[in-house]
Amino acid sequence: MNKHIIKAIAVKDIKSIFSSKKVWIPMVILSFILCIACPGVITYVGIHTDLLNQPSEDIEKPIQAVIEQFPAEEMRNTLSELPTLGSKFVYYFMHFMLIPLFLMTATIHSMVTASNSFAGEKERKTLETLLFSPISVYDLFLGKVLASLIPTLFMTYCSFIINMAVVNLMANKAFDSLLFLDAGWMVFMFWVIPAVVLFNILLNILVSARVKSFQEAQQFGGIMILPVVGIIISQASGLFFLSPFILFLIGTGLFIGNALLLRFITRFNQRNALFESQIH
Amino acid sequence: METKIIETMDVTKKINGHSILADVSFSIEKGSITGLLGPNGAGKTTIIRLLNGVIDASHGRISVLGKNPKTEGEEIRKNSGIVTESASLYHDMTAWDNLKFFSRIYGVNDERRITYLLDQFDLLEVKDKLVGTFSTGMKKRVSLAKALLHNPKLLFLDEPTNGLDPDGINSVIYYLDRVNKEEDVTILICSHVLHQLEHICDSYLFLKKGRIIEKGTKHDLEEKYLKKIRLLVETGLTVKERSYMGYPIEHKGQGRIEFSLSSKDEIAPLLREILKETWIHSSVITNRSLESLYFKIAGEHNE
Repeated sequence: MNKHIIKAIAVKDIKSIFSSKKVWIPMVILSFILCIACPGVITYVGIHTDLLNQPSEDIEKPIQAVIEQFPAEEMRNTLSELPTLGSKFVYYFMHFMLIPLFLMTATIHSMVTASNSFAGEKERKTLETLLFSPISVYDLFLGKVLASLIPTLFMTYCSFIINMAVVNLMANKAFDSLLFLDAGWMVFMFWVIPAVVLFNILLNILVSARVKSFQEAQQFGGIMILPVVGIIISQASGLFFLSPFILFLIGTGLFIGNALLLRFITRFNQRNALFESQIH
Repeated sequence: METKIIETMDVTKKINGHSILADVSFSIEKGSITGLLGPNGAGKTTIIRLLNGVIDASHGRISVLGKNPKTEGEEIRKNSGIVTESASLYHDMTAWDNLKFFSRIYGVNDERRITYLLDQFDLLEVKDKLVGTFSTGMKKRVSLAKALLHNPKLLFLDEPTNGLDPDGINSVIYYLDRVNKEEDVTILICSHVLHQLEHICDSYLFLKKGRIIEKGTKHDLEEKYLKKIRLLVETGLTVKERSYMGYPIEHKGQGRIEFSLSSKDEIAPLLREILKETWIHSSVITNRSLESLYFKIAGEHNE
Protein backbone atom coordinates (compact mmCIF):
# COMPACT_ATOMS: atom_id res chain seq x y z
CA MET A 1 0.00 0.00 0.00
CA ASN A 2 1.44 3.34 -1.07
CA LYS A 3 -0.10 6.14 1.01
CA HIS A 4 1.28 8.92 -1.23
CA ILE A 5 -0.36 7.47 -4.34
CA ILE A 6 -3.68 6.83 -2.57
CA LYS A 7 -3.64 10.41 -1.24
CA ALA A 8 -2.73 11.84 -4.66
CA ILE A 9 -5.67 10.05 -6.33
CA ALA A 10 -8.10 10.99 -3.55
CA VAL A 11 -7.04 14.66 -3.48
CA LYS A 12 -7.25 14.95 -7.27
CA ASP A 13 -10.75 13.46 -7.37
CA ILE A 14 -12.03 15.52 -4.44
CA LYS A 15 -10.75 18.69 -6.11
CA SER A 16 -12.47 17.57 -9.31
CA ILE A 17 -15.79 17.06 -7.47
CA PHE A 18 -15.70 20.50 -5.87
CA SER A 19 -14.52 22.23 -9.03
CA SER A 20 -17.40 20.80 -11.07
CA LYS A 21 -20.60 22.72 -10.40
CA LYS A 22 -22.56 19.97 -12.15
CA VAL A 23 -21.50 17.60 -9.39
CA TRP A 24 -21.52 19.59 -6.17
CA ILE A 25 -24.47 21.94 -6.68
CA PRO A 26 -27.06 19.10 -6.97
CA MET A 27 -25.46 17.54 -3.87
CA VAL A 28 -25.86 20.78 -1.89
CA ILE A 29 -29.45 21.29 -3.10
CA LEU A 30 -30.43 17.73 -2.19
CA SER A 31 -28.86 18.03 1.28
CA PHE A 32 -30.56 21.35 1.85
CA ILE A 33 -34.03 20.17 0.83
CA LEU A 34 -34.06 16.78 2.57
CA CYS A 35 -31.87 17.38 5.60
CA ILE A 36 -32.33 21.07 6.44
CA ALA A 37 -35.43 22.60 4.81
CA CYS A 38 -37.73 19.60 5.33
CA PRO A 39 -37.07 19.14 9.11
CA GLY A 40 -36.94 22.94 9.53
CA VAL A 41 -40.38 23.45 7.98
CA ILE A 42 -41.87 20.54 9.94
CA THR A 43 -40.45 21.93 13.21
CA TYR A 44 -41.79 25.38 12.49
CA VAL A 45 -45.23 24.12 11.53
CA GLY A 46 -45.44 21.70 14.47
CA ILE A 47 -44.14 24.01 17.19
CA HIS A 48 -44.93 27.53 16.06
CA THR A 49 -48.29 27.08 14.31
CA ASP A 50 -51.52 25.36 15.23
CA LEU A 51 -51.82 23.58 11.91
CA LEU A 52 -51.25 20.14 13.43
CA ASN A 53 -53.12 20.94 16.65
CA GLN A 54 -56.51 21.35 14.97
CA PRO A 55 -58.97 18.78 16.34
CA SER A 56 -59.07 16.36 13.45
CA GLU A 57 -59.45 12.62 13.64
CA ASP A 58 -57.54 12.16 10.39
CA ILE A 59 -54.31 13.42 11.96
CA GLU A 60 -54.81 12.59 15.61
CA LYS A 61 -55.90 8.98 15.31
CA PRO A 62 -52.92 7.53 13.41
CA ILE A 63 -50.39 9.50 15.51
CA GLN A 64 -51.99 8.31 18.77
CA ALA A 65 -52.08 4.74 17.44
CA VAL A 66 -48.37 4.80 16.65
CA ILE A 67 -47.57 6.25 20.10
CA GLU A 68 -49.67 3.66 21.91
CA GLN A 69 -48.11 0.75 20.03
CA PHE A 70 -44.57 2.05 20.28
CA PRO A 71 -42.26 -0.79 21.46
CA ALA A 72 -39.85 1.32 23.59
CA GLU A 73 -41.52 2.32 26.84
CA GLU A 74 -39.33 5.36 27.49
CA MET A 75 -40.14 6.85 24.09
CA ARG A 76 -43.82 5.99 24.51
CA ASN A 77 -43.92 7.88 27.81
CA THR A 78 -42.03 10.89 26.46
CA LEU A 79 -44.37 11.15 23.49
CA SER A 80 -47.47 10.81 25.70
CA GLU A 81 -46.26 13.56 28.02
CA LEU A 82 -45.80 16.10 25.24
CA PRO A 83 -48.60 18.67 25.43
CA THR A 84 -49.62 19.18 21.80
CA LEU A 85 -50.09 16.95 18.80
CA GLY A 86 -47.74 19.24 16.85
CA SER A 87 -44.89 18.75 19.32
CA LYS A 88 -45.53 14.98 19.39
CA PHE A 89 -45.31 14.85 15.62
CA VAL A 90 -42.10 16.93 15.52
CA TYR A 91 -40.48 14.79 18.21
CA TYR A 92 -41.42 11.57 16.43
CA PHE A 93 -40.32 12.88 13.02
CA MET A 94 -36.93 14.08 14.27
CA HIS A 95 -36.25 10.79 16.06
CA PHE A 96 -37.33 8.32 13.41
CA MET A 97 -38.53 9.63 10.10
CA LEU A 98 -35.58 11.94 9.44
CA ILE A 99 -33.16 8.99 9.65
CA PRO A 100 -34.14 7.53 6.26
CA LEU A 101 -33.92 10.97 4.68
CA PHE A 102 -30.30 11.32 5.80
CA LEU A 103 -29.70 7.75 4.64
CA MET A 104 -31.13 8.56 1.22
CA THR A 105 -29.09 11.76 0.91
CA ALA A 106 -25.84 10.01 1.82
CA THR A 107 -26.64 7.14 -0.57
CA ILE A 108 -27.28 9.50 -3.48
CA HIS A 109 -24.14 11.54 -2.70
CA SER A 110 -21.99 8.43 -2.60
CA MET A 111 -23.51 7.19 -5.84
CA VAL A 112 -22.76 10.47 -7.64
CA THR A 113 -19.21 10.84 -6.32
CA ALA A 114 -18.30 7.17 -6.85
CA SER A 115 -19.55 7.01 -10.41
CA ASN A 116 -17.89 10.36 -11.19
CA SER A 117 -14.64 9.10 -9.77
CA PHE A 118 -14.23 5.69 -11.42
CA ALA A 119 -16.47 5.60 -14.49
CA GLY A 120 -15.59 9.27 -15.13
CA GLU A 121 -11.92 8.31 -15.25
CA LYS A 122 -12.74 5.77 -17.91
CA GLU A 123 -14.78 8.22 -19.96
CA ARG A 124 -11.99 10.80 -19.88
CA LYS A 125 -9.66 8.03 -21.13
CA THR A 126 -7.35 8.64 -18.19
CA LEU A 127 -7.89 5.20 -16.66
CA GLU A 128 -5.53 3.84 -19.32
CA THR A 129 -2.74 6.17 -18.15
CA LEU A 130 -3.32 5.21 -14.52
CA LEU A 131 -3.14 1.51 -15.36
CA PHE A 132 0.09 2.17 -17.27
CA SER A 133 1.63 3.79 -14.19
CA PRO A 134 3.22 2.02 -11.23
CA ILE A 135 0.01 2.03 -9.15
CA SER A 136 -1.27 -1.21 -7.69
CA VAL A 137 -4.94 -1.87 -8.48
CA TYR A 138 -5.58 -2.03 -4.71
CA ASP A 139 -4.16 1.49 -4.21
CA LEU A 140 -6.17 2.76 -7.17
CA PHE A 141 -9.41 1.37 -5.74
CA LEU A 142 -8.60 2.63 -2.25
CA GLY A 143 -7.85 6.13 -3.57
CA LYS A 144 -11.14 6.09 -5.44
CA VAL A 145 -13.05 4.90 -2.35
CA LEU A 146 -11.58 7.74 -0.25
CA ALA A 147 -12.29 10.25 -3.01
CA SER A 148 -15.95 9.39 -2.75
CA LEU A 149 -16.19 8.68 0.99
CA ILE A 150 -14.68 11.99 2.19
CA PRO A 151 -16.92 14.40 0.22
CA THR A 152 -20.02 12.30 0.95
CA LEU A 153 -19.39 12.26 4.69
CA PHE A 154 -18.39 15.92 4.65
CA MET A 155 -21.67 16.88 2.98
CA THR A 156 -23.72 14.61 5.24
CA TYR A 157 -22.12 15.83 8.49
CA CYS A 158 -22.36 19.48 7.43
CA SER A 159 -26.08 18.95 6.75
CA PHE A 160 -26.45 17.21 10.12
CA ILE A 161 -24.79 20.03 12.06
CA ILE A 162 -26.81 22.73 10.30
CA ASN A 163 -30.02 20.70 10.72
CA MET A 164 -29.27 20.21 14.43
CA ALA A 165 -28.73 23.94 14.93
CA VAL A 166 -31.81 25.00 12.93
CA VAL A 167 -34.23 22.50 14.48
CA ASN A 168 -33.02 22.97 18.07
CA LEU A 169 -33.14 26.75 17.78
CA MET A 170 -36.75 26.54 16.66
CA ALA A 171 -37.80 23.81 19.09
CA ASN A 172 -35.75 24.58 22.21
CA LYS A 173 -38.78 25.63 24.29
CA ALA A 174 -40.95 22.70 23.29
CA PHE A 175 -38.71 19.89 24.55
CA ASP A 176 -36.69 19.30 27.71
CA SER A 177 -33.57 18.13 25.91
CA LEU A 178 -31.77 18.94 22.68
CA LEU A 179 -32.82 16.87 19.70
CA PHE A 180 -30.36 14.62 17.82
CA LEU A 181 -27.93 14.33 20.75
CA ASP A 182 -29.14 10.85 21.71
CA ALA A 183 -27.65 7.39 21.29
CA GLY A 184 -29.81 6.52 18.29
CA TRP A 185 -28.68 9.49 16.19
CA MET A 186 -25.05 9.19 17.25
CA VAL A 187 -24.88 5.49 16.32
CA PHE A 188 -26.70 6.26 13.11
CA MET A 189 -24.52 9.18 12.01
CA PHE A 190 -21.12 7.87 13.06
CA TRP A 191 -21.52 4.12 12.62
CA VAL A 192 -24.33 3.34 10.18
CA ILE A 193 -23.86 6.23 7.70
CA PRO A 194 -20.12 5.56 7.11
CA ALA A 195 -20.91 1.84 6.72
CA VAL A 196 -23.76 2.45 4.26
CA VAL A 197 -21.76 5.02 2.28
CA LEU A 198 -18.75 2.71 2.08
CA PHE A 199 -20.94 -0.19 1.01
CA ASN A 200 -22.55 1.89 -1.70
CA ILE A 201 -19.18 3.19 -2.96
CA LEU A 202 -17.65 -0.28 -3.11
CA LEU A 203 -20.68 -1.64 -4.92
CA ASN A 204 -20.56 1.27 -7.33
CA ILE A 205 -16.85 0.76 -8.04
CA LEU A 206 -17.46 -2.95 -8.54
CA VAL A 207 -20.20 -2.12 -11.04
CA SER A 208 -18.14 0.67 -12.69
CA ALA A 209 -15.28 -1.74 -13.25
CA ARG A 210 -17.64 -3.97 -15.19
CA VAL A 211 -19.97 -1.64 -17.10
CA LYS A 212 -18.99 0.55 -20.02
CA SER A 213 -20.30 4.02 -19.19
CA PHE A 214 -20.99 6.57 -16.44
CA GLN A 215 -24.75 6.33 -17.07
CA GLU A 216 -24.81 2.55 -16.61
CA ALA A 217 -22.92 2.91 -13.33
CA GLN A 218 -25.46 5.46 -12.08
CA GLN A 219 -28.39 3.27 -13.07
CA PHE A 220 -26.99 0.38 -11.05
CA GLY A 221 -26.32 2.74 -8.16
CA GLY A 222 -29.97 3.82 -8.24
CA ILE A 223 -30.99 0.36 -7.06
CA MET A 224 -29.35 1.21 -3.73
CA ILE A 225 -32.13 3.70 -3.02
CA LEU A 226 -34.78 0.96 -2.87
CA PRO A 227 -33.94 -0.39 0.63
CA VAL A 228 -33.90 3.20 1.92
CA VAL A 229 -37.41 3.77 0.56
CA GLY A 230 -38.45 0.57 2.34
CA ILE A 231 -37.05 1.93 5.61
CA ILE A 232 -38.93 5.22 5.16
CA ILE A 233 -42.24 3.40 4.73
CA SER A 234 -41.68 1.05 7.65
CA GLN A 235 -40.50 3.86 9.95
CA ALA A 236 -43.47 6.05 9.06
CA SER A 237 -45.94 3.28 9.67
CA GLY A 238 -44.31 2.23 12.94
CA LEU A 239 -43.81 -1.24 11.44
CA PHE A 240 -40.13 -1.44 12.10
CA PHE A 241 -38.41 0.50 14.83
CA LEU A 242 -34.69 1.31 14.40
CA SER A 243 -33.43 1.25 17.98
CA PRO A 244 -29.78 2.16 18.65
CA PHE A 245 -29.01 -1.54 19.05
CA ILE A 246 -30.56 -2.46 15.70
CA LEU A 247 -28.70 0.44 14.09
CA PHE A 248 -25.46 -0.81 15.63
CA LEU A 249 -26.11 -4.31 14.26
CA ILE A 250 -26.92 -2.92 10.78
CA GLY A 251 -23.67 -0.92 10.80
CA THR A 252 -21.63 -3.92 11.95
CA GLY A 253 -23.18 -6.13 9.29
CA LEU A 254 -22.41 -3.56 6.62
CA PHE A 255 -18.80 -3.14 7.75
CA ILE A 256 -18.30 -6.92 7.53
CA GLY A 257 -19.90 -6.81 4.07
CA ASN A 258 -17.57 -3.96 3.11
CA ALA A 259 -14.45 -5.93 4.10
CA LEU A 260 -15.65 -8.90 2.02
CA LEU A 261 -16.57 -6.64 -0.90
CA LEU A 262 -13.15 -4.95 -0.91
CA ARG A 263 -11.46 -8.35 -0.95
CA PHE A 264 -13.71 -9.46 -3.77
CA ILE A 265 -13.10 -6.29 -5.81
CA THR A 266 -9.32 -6.47 -5.60
CA ARG A 267 -9.19 -10.22 -6.18
CA PHE A 268 -11.40 -10.20 -9.27
CA ASN A 269 -10.08 -6.99 -10.79
CA GLN A 270 -6.47 -7.73 -11.60
CA ARG A 271 -4.80 -5.14 -13.80
CA ASN A 272 -4.90 -7.25 -16.97
CA ALA A 273 -8.59 -8.18 -16.53
CA LEU A 274 -9.48 -4.57 -15.80
CA PHE A 275 -7.48 -3.37 -18.79
CA GLU A 276 -8.96 -5.87 -21.22
CA SER A 277 -12.52 -5.16 -20.06
CA GLN A 278 -12.26 -1.38 -19.78
CA ILE A 279 -9.72 -0.06 -22.32
CA HIS A 280 -10.44 -0.29 -26.01
CA MET B 1 27.31 -5.36 -20.74
CA GLU B 2 23.67 -6.07 -21.62
CA THR B 3 22.73 -3.97 -24.66
CA LYS B 4 19.26 -5.34 -25.32
CA ILE B 5 16.64 -3.40 -23.39
CA ILE B 6 13.65 -5.28 -24.84
CA GLU B 7 13.54 -8.88 -26.02
CA THR B 8 10.52 -10.88 -27.11
CA MET B 9 10.48 -14.49 -28.23
CA ASP B 10 7.57 -16.19 -30.02
CA VAL B 11 4.98 -13.96 -28.37
CA THR B 12 1.37 -14.76 -29.14
CA LYS B 13 -1.70 -12.90 -27.94
CA LYS B 14 -5.25 -14.09 -28.38
CA ILE B 15 -8.34 -12.24 -27.19
CA ASN B 16 -11.59 -14.21 -27.10
CA GLY B 17 -10.02 -16.86 -29.34
CA HIS B 18 -9.10 -14.23 -31.92
CA SER B 19 -5.39 -14.03 -32.73
CA ILE B 20 -4.01 -10.50 -32.27
CA LEU B 21 -0.29 -11.33 -32.36
CA ALA B 22 1.46 -14.44 -33.62
CA ASP B 23 5.08 -15.52 -33.03
CA VAL B 24 6.39 -12.03 -32.47
CA SER B 25 10.15 -12.04 -31.85
CA PHE B 26 12.39 -8.99 -31.81
CA SER B 27 14.92 -7.16 -29.71
CA ILE B 28 15.65 -3.48 -29.15
CA GLU B 29 19.06 -1.99 -28.42
CA LYS B 30 19.58 0.25 -25.44
CA GLY B 31 19.72 3.95 -26.41
CA SER B 32 18.10 3.39 -29.80
CA ILE B 33 14.95 4.77 -31.40
CA THR B 34 12.92 1.99 -32.97
CA GLY B 35 9.89 2.43 -35.19
CA LEU B 36 7.15 -0.16 -34.88
CA LEU B 37 5.36 0.28 -38.17
CA GLY B 38 2.25 -1.18 -39.60
CA PRO B 39 -1.30 -0.42 -40.68
CA ASN B 40 -4.13 0.18 -38.21
CA GLY B 41 -5.12 -3.03 -36.48
CA ALA B 42 -1.74 -4.69 -37.08
CA GLY B 43 -1.16 -5.18 -33.33
CA LYS B 44 1.20 -2.29 -32.53
CA THR B 45 -0.72 -1.06 -29.48
CA THR B 46 -1.09 -4.64 -28.22
CA ILE B 47 2.71 -5.02 -28.29
CA ILE B 48 3.13 -1.86 -26.19
CA ARG B 49 0.54 -3.09 -23.69
CA LEU B 50 2.25 -6.47 -23.43
CA LEU B 51 5.66 -4.85 -22.91
CA ASN B 52 4.21 -2.77 -20.05
CA GLY B 53 2.58 -5.78 -18.42
CA VAL B 54 -0.92 -4.31 -18.47
CA ILE B 55 -2.12 -7.31 -20.47
CA ASP B 56 -0.63 -10.79 -20.50
CA ALA B 57 0.72 -12.71 -23.47
CA SER B 58 -1.02 -15.97 -24.33
CA HIS B 59 2.32 -17.56 -25.14
CA GLY B 60 5.98 -16.64 -25.47
CA ARG B 61 8.69 -14.88 -23.49
CA ILE B 62 9.09 -11.15 -22.94
CA SER B 63 11.88 -9.29 -21.19
CA VAL B 64 11.83 -5.53 -20.67
CA LEU B 65 14.71 -3.92 -18.74
CA GLY B 66 15.65 -7.48 -17.81
CA LYS B 67 12.26 -8.08 -16.17
CA ASN B 68 9.20 -10.16 -16.96
CA PRO B 69 6.21 -7.83 -17.54
CA LYS B 70 3.78 -10.44 -16.26
CA THR B 71 5.37 -10.79 -12.83
CA GLU B 72 7.44 -7.60 -12.51
CA GLY B 73 5.23 -5.17 -14.43
CA GLU B 74 5.32 -2.56 -11.68
CA GLU B 75 9.15 -2.37 -11.85
CA ILE B 76 8.95 -1.92 -15.62
CA ARG B 77 6.27 0.77 -15.32
CA LYS B 78 8.38 2.60 -12.73
CA ASN B 79 11.23 2.87 -15.21
CA SER B 80 9.33 3.54 -18.39
CA GLY B 81 7.14 6.32 -19.68
CA ILE B 82 4.27 6.13 -22.11
CA VAL B 83 2.40 8.47 -24.40
CA THR B 84 -0.85 6.82 -25.43
CA GLU B 85 -2.78 7.66 -28.57
CA SER B 86 -5.29 9.80 -26.71
CA ALA B 87 -3.11 12.14 -24.68
CA SER B 88 -4.84 10.86 -21.48
CA LEU B 89 -4.69 14.04 -19.45
CA TYR B 90 -7.17 15.66 -17.08
CA HIS B 91 -8.81 18.42 -19.09
CA ASP B 92 -10.29 20.13 -16.03
CA MET B 93 -6.82 20.55 -14.55
CA THR B 94 -4.00 22.91 -15.54
CA ALA B 95 -0.83 21.65 -17.22
CA TRP B 96 1.01 22.19 -13.95
CA ASP B 97 -1.59 20.32 -11.87
CA ASN B 98 -1.58 17.41 -14.34
CA LEU B 99 2.19 17.10 -14.11
CA LYS B 100 2.12 17.58 -10.33
CA PHE B 101 -0.43 14.77 -10.00
CA PHE B 102 1.55 12.37 -12.18
CA SER B 103 4.80 13.28 -10.42
CA ARG B 104 3.17 12.13 -7.15
CA ILE B 105 2.02 8.92 -8.84
CA TYR B 106 5.57 8.26 -10.06
CA GLY B 107 7.08 9.27 -6.70
CA VAL B 108 8.91 12.33 -8.04
CA ASN B 109 9.02 15.04 -5.39
CA ASP B 110 10.92 17.58 -7.40
CA GLU B 111 9.04 20.55 -8.80
CA ARG B 112 12.21 21.64 -10.62
CA ARG B 113 11.80 18.61 -12.89
CA ILE B 114 8.27 19.74 -13.81
CA THR B 115 9.49 23.29 -14.49
CA TYR B 116 12.42 21.96 -16.53
CA LEU B 117 10.18 19.76 -18.70
CA LEU B 118 7.58 22.50 -19.21
CA ASP B 119 10.42 24.75 -20.30
CA GLN B 120 11.87 22.10 -22.62
CA PHE B 121 8.51 21.59 -24.29
CA ASP B 122 7.75 25.33 -24.55
CA LEU B 123 4.84 25.09 -22.15
CA LEU B 124 6.07 27.18 -19.23
CA GLU B 125 4.00 30.19 -20.25
CA VAL B 126 0.77 28.20 -20.36
CA LYS B 127 1.41 26.07 -17.29
CA ASP B 128 -1.56 27.57 -15.38
CA LYS B 129 -4.06 27.13 -18.20
CA LEU B 130 -6.54 24.25 -18.30
CA VAL B 131 -5.36 21.39 -20.52
CA GLY B 132 -8.87 21.27 -22.01
CA THR B 133 -8.15 24.58 -23.74
CA PHE B 134 -4.92 23.31 -25.36
CA SER B 135 -4.42 22.35 -29.01
CA THR B 136 -3.74 18.69 -29.85
CA GLY B 137 -0.04 19.47 -30.29
CA MET B 138 0.18 21.13 -26.88
CA LYS B 139 -1.60 18.20 -25.26
CA LYS B 140 0.89 15.79 -26.86
CA ARG B 141 3.74 17.88 -25.48
CA VAL B 142 2.22 17.84 -21.98
CA SER B 143 1.79 14.10 -22.38
CA LEU B 144 5.44 13.77 -23.39
CA ALA B 145 6.50 15.84 -20.38
CA LYS B 146 4.33 13.58 -18.20
CA ALA B 147 6.01 10.49 -19.63
CA LEU B 148 9.46 11.90 -18.84
CA LEU B 149 8.77 13.15 -15.29
CA HIS B 150 10.48 10.23 -13.58
CA ASN B 151 13.54 10.11 -15.87
CA PRO B 152 12.50 6.83 -17.52
CA LYS B 153 15.01 4.59 -19.22
CA LEU B 154 12.45 3.59 -21.81
CA LEU B 155 9.76 5.57 -23.60
CA PHE B 156 6.79 4.05 -25.41
CA LEU B 157 4.95 6.25 -27.87
CA ASP B 158 1.72 5.11 -29.46
CA GLU B 159 0.96 7.16 -32.57
CA PRO B 160 2.54 10.31 -31.07
CA THR B 161 1.89 12.43 -34.15
CA ASN B 162 -1.77 11.52 -34.68
CA GLY B 163 -3.94 14.57 -35.21
CA LEU B 164 -1.03 16.99 -35.36
CA ASP B 165 -0.39 19.59 -38.04
CA PRO B 166 3.01 19.61 -39.83
CA ASP B 167 4.46 22.06 -37.29
CA GLY B 168 3.22 19.91 -34.43
CA ILE B 169 4.71 16.79 -36.01
CA ASN B 170 8.07 18.47 -36.51
CA SER B 171 8.20 19.72 -32.96
CA VAL B 172 7.31 16.31 -31.48
CA ILE B 173 9.96 14.62 -33.67
CA TYR B 174 12.48 17.29 -32.64
CA TYR B 175 11.76 16.79 -28.92
CA LEU B 176 11.98 13.00 -29.21
CA ASP B 177 15.35 13.24 -30.87
CA ARG B 178 16.55 15.54 -28.10
CA VAL B 179 15.23 13.31 -25.34
CA ASN B 180 16.95 10.33 -26.91
CA LYS B 181 20.29 12.10 -27.24
CA GLU B 182 20.31 14.26 -24.11
CA GLU B 183 18.63 11.92 -21.61
CA ASP B 184 19.77 8.64 -23.20
CA VAL B 185 16.21 7.32 -23.30
CA THR B 186 15.48 4.29 -25.46
CA ILE B 187 12.37 4.98 -27.53
CA LEU B 188 9.87 2.69 -29.19
CA ILE B 189 7.49 4.55 -31.51
CA CYS B 190 4.36 3.03 -33.01
CA SER B 191 3.06 4.68 -36.12
CA HIS B 192 1.33 4.09 -39.38
CA VAL B 193 2.55 7.37 -40.86
CA LEU B 194 5.94 6.28 -42.11
CA HIS B 195 7.57 9.37 -43.55
CA GLN B 196 7.39 11.11 -40.16
CA LEU B 197 9.72 8.58 -38.61
CA GLU B 198 12.19 8.35 -41.44
CA HIS B 199 14.76 10.73 -40.02
CA ILE B 200 14.53 9.79 -36.38
CA CYS B 201 14.55 5.99 -36.10
CA ASP B 202 17.68 3.84 -35.95
CA SER B 203 15.83 0.67 -36.86
CA TYR B 204 12.37 -0.55 -37.78
CA LEU B 205 9.98 -3.39 -37.07
CA PHE B 206 7.35 -3.95 -39.74
CA LEU B 207 4.15 -5.47 -38.42
CA LYS B 208 1.33 -6.85 -40.50
CA LYS B 209 -1.70 -8.81 -39.32
CA GLY B 210 -0.07 -9.52 -35.96
CA ARG B 211 3.22 -10.77 -37.40
CA ILE B 212 6.63 -9.14 -37.69
CA ILE B 213 7.24 -9.34 -41.41
CA GLU B 214 10.62 -7.55 -41.46
CA LYS B 215 13.06 -5.79 -39.16
CA GLY B 216 16.36 -3.99 -39.37
CA THR B 217 18.05 -0.64 -39.95
CA LYS B 218 17.18 1.35 -43.01
CA HIS B 219 20.56 0.45 -44.47
CA ASP B 220 19.86 -3.29 -43.94
CA LEU B 221 16.45 -2.94 -45.53
CA GLU B 222 17.80 -1.01 -48.49
CA GLU B 223 20.50 -3.63 -49.03
CA LYS B 224 17.88 -6.34 -48.98
CA TYR B 225 15.05 -4.76 -50.94
CA LEU B 226 16.52 -2.02 -53.08
CA LYS B 227 17.38 -4.03 -56.21
CA LYS B 228 17.09 -1.04 -58.55
CA ILE B 229 18.19 2.51 -57.78
CA ARG B 230 16.15 5.33 -59.21
CA LEU B 231 18.27 8.48 -59.22
CA LEU B 232 16.61 11.80 -60.00
CA VAL B 233 19.18 14.36 -61.23
CA GLU B 234 18.55 18.06 -61.75
CA THR B 235 20.94 18.82 -64.59
CA GLY B 236 21.55 20.68 -67.86
CA LEU B 237 22.19 17.36 -69.65
CA THR B 238 20.32 16.78 -72.88
CA VAL B 239 19.66 13.18 -73.79
CA LYS B 240 17.78 12.33 -76.96
CA GLU B 241 17.96 8.54 -76.60
CA ARG B 242 16.16 6.37 -74.02
CA SER B 243 19.36 5.64 -72.15
CA TYR B 244 22.55 7.35 -71.05
CA MET B 245 25.80 5.43 -70.49
CA GLY B 246 23.67 2.32 -70.86
CA TYR B 247 21.32 3.32 -67.97
CA PRO B 248 17.62 3.63 -68.86
CA ILE B 249 16.34 7.17 -68.34
CA GLU B 250 13.02 8.93 -67.90
CA HIS B 251 12.44 12.68 -68.31
CA LYS B 252 10.67 14.12 -65.26
CA GLY B 253 10.15 17.67 -66.49
CA GLN B 254 12.50 20.36 -67.64
CA GLY B 255 16.06 19.78 -66.46
CA ARG B 256 15.12 16.67 -64.44
CA ILE B 257 16.14 13.17 -65.52
CA GLU B 258 15.59 9.93 -63.59
CA PHE B 259 18.20 7.20 -64.14
CA SER B 260 17.65 3.50 -63.37
CA LEU B 261 20.79 1.98 -61.86
CA SER B 262 21.59 -1.49 -60.59
CA SER B 263 23.43 -0.42 -57.46
CA LYS B 264 24.55 2.62 -55.49
CA ASP B 265 28.11 2.04 -56.70
CA GLU B 266 27.06 3.27 -60.11
CA ILE B 267 25.99 6.69 -58.84
CA ALA B 268 29.41 8.37 -58.54
CA PRO B 269 30.73 7.36 -62.01
CA LEU B 270 27.44 8.49 -63.59
CA LEU B 271 27.51 11.90 -61.91
CA ARG B 272 31.20 12.38 -62.78
CA GLU B 273 30.42 11.67 -66.41
CA ILE B 274 27.52 14.14 -66.47
CA LEU B 275 29.65 16.82 -64.78
CA LYS B 276 32.17 16.53 -67.58
CA GLU B 277 29.42 17.69 -69.96
CA THR B 278 27.27 20.08 -67.95
CA TRP B 279 26.11 21.25 -64.50
CA ILE B 280 24.29 19.28 -61.77
CA HIS B 281 22.24 21.08 -59.11
CA SER B 282 20.98 18.07 -57.18
CA SER B 283 20.65 14.30 -57.19
CA VAL B 284 18.41 12.13 -55.03
CA ILE B 285 17.48 8.46 -54.81
CA THR B 286 13.66 8.45 -55.12
CA ASN B 287 12.77 4.87 -54.28
CA ARG B 288 14.53 4.59 -50.89
CA SER B 289 11.93 6.34 -48.73
CA LEU B 290 10.62 4.35 -45.80
CA GLU B 291 7.22 4.31 -47.41
CA SER B 292 8.60 2.83 -50.67
CA LEU B 293 10.47 0.22 -48.68
CA TYR B 294 7.37 -0.58 -46.64
CA PHE B 295 5.24 -1.15 -49.72
CA LYS B 296 7.96 -3.30 -51.23
CA ILE B 297 8.24 -5.39 -48.07
CA ALA B 298 4.46 -5.63 -47.62
CA GLY B 299 4.10 -6.49 -51.31
CA GLU B 300 6.61 -9.31 -51.08
CA HIS B 301 4.79 -10.71 -48.04
CA ASN B 302 1.51 -10.66 -49.89
CA GLU B 303 2.90 -12.86 -52.60
